Amino acid sequence: MLAIILFVSSCQEQEYSLPEANTHFQNDVIKRSIGPNVVGLNIEFVYAMALGLENGNILSAQVEASIPGAAGTFLEHRSYYTGPGGNDVGIDVANPSTTSGPVTEVVFTRDTCAAALRYYYIIPEEARGKSVSFTFSAEASTGETVSFKMGPYNIGKVEIKRDITLNDNDLRYFSIADMQVYDSTDAAAIPDKIDLVYLYRSISGINFNHALVAPGADPEFLPDIILPGGVDNPTKIRQTWQLRDEHLARLQYHIYIDDLDFEEIDLSSSSDYAINLRAESGAWVETADGNYRAFVYVNSVSNSGKTMKISVKRYTMN
Amino acid sequence: MIAIQILPRTDRGYKMNLSRNKYKLITMKNILIISFTFLVLLLTGIRCTKYPIDEDGLLITGRAECYVSNFELLNIDFQTVRSTSAVIDTIAQTIDVEVYWGTNLKKLWPQFSLVTDAKLDPKITDWVDFSNLTNPKQWTVISGNRKVKKTYTVNITVQAKP
Repeated sequence: MLAIILFVSSCQEQEYSLPEANTHFQNDVIKRSIGPNVVGLNIEFVYAMALGLENGNILSAQVEASIPGAAGTFLEHRSYYTGPGGNDVGIDVANPSTTSGPVTEVVFTRDTCAAALRYYYIIPEEARGKSVSFTFSAEASTGETVSFKMGPYNIGKVEIKRDITLNDNDLRYFSIADMQVYDSTDAAAIPDKIDLVYLYRSISGINFNHALVAPGADPEFLPDIILPGGVDNPTKIRQTWQLRDEHLARLQYHIYIDDLDFEEIDLSSSSDYAINLRAESGAWVETADGNYRAFVYVNSVSNSGKTMKISVKRYTMN
Repeated sequence: MIAIQILPRTDRGYKMNLSRNKYKLITMKNILIISFTFLVLLLTGIRCTKYPIDEDGLLITGRAECYVSNFELLNIDFQTVRSTSAVIDTIAQTIDVEVYWGTNLKKLWPQFSLVTDAKLDPKITDWVDFSNLTNPKQWTVISGNRKVKKTYTVNITVQAKP
């Protein structure tokens, strides 16, 4: 009996009707950028807004950040859609954005009822170690306003400096504190700040090649190097492979070294040299005074030029 | 006094069928009970069979073989630090390994491959400091039957710098 009832009821036809879209003004936001948030880099969002075609059009859109973005922060005045080839196609819908303090705004010039605007927030120095949140809002000709909150997002303490070229000629003394390379003359003026010495040696029978060595390391790791007076920091160094930090390497691996990695890494039994460094390898470094930990990524090396291009991510301890 | 009830032919047949079915049911029931009891006893018997387990919860087997078949030495990045293959002498019970010049000997992870069912003592649960080359580390291999023990000495040498 039950089967018959179910059979009969399941056969009842239901009239299909097109679902009615919500024609009220509405909005949504997605965060496009991934990885830790680092000062100087951006956080990217897409802000989408729409209302019914017959109802009216969008007048303006704005984003308010809890900490004003650095120079370069902007809200796109183009709305993008994906073209047939998978490429982004932008259509001007508003005037270029204007930023006043924490608020970045665009005023629409095109009569449109829907738009998806990208927002690029350049993380300012003031946000280091803090968190930042955003309020996206828009206004339509119907008088309706919508808003959407995003965040808070933690901003890391790490600092980045990219594409520093060291050479075996003389520009070999690197300071983590200054994130800069010095020649022997300049290094002699700031011996306490010199944490790494770069050298290239092709020694038959062993793999030495490109090396980053602590000034205070055993002299056998600094062959033919005469250090400037006072340059003798016993920096801790741990060589590592396959840690291609996305911020430093800018390759396809999407691996990110974050504040937590620097806080938790134990370099206590590390050596004071990294030899046979190659492109895409790297080294964890802790300065002798314990003030900084850093990750030095090797972007490229040249045997003939005896050079090494590095990018550095640094974390200030305490 | 015995009362005999004579039933109509059809009723008699019906009752006979009932009795036969009842008999079948009882027989099936008995078979099921016996099977179930047998199964329980079988499982209980299996469960109660005691296999020898050592203090690590590992099965003690009848194997008396006791040797290291392969050895690897990894750095903190889990890359090998051997410059050549390790030389394993199962008679002298030594493992000779040459590592690359510049290897940080303070934090290495040795990996032993052992004969079937054997185990290692002490267990390797953390990085090992091999920097004291004059005092080589030792590990004992214990056979599957836990009756044979052989202590291997791991001798590290660093690749010579020309």
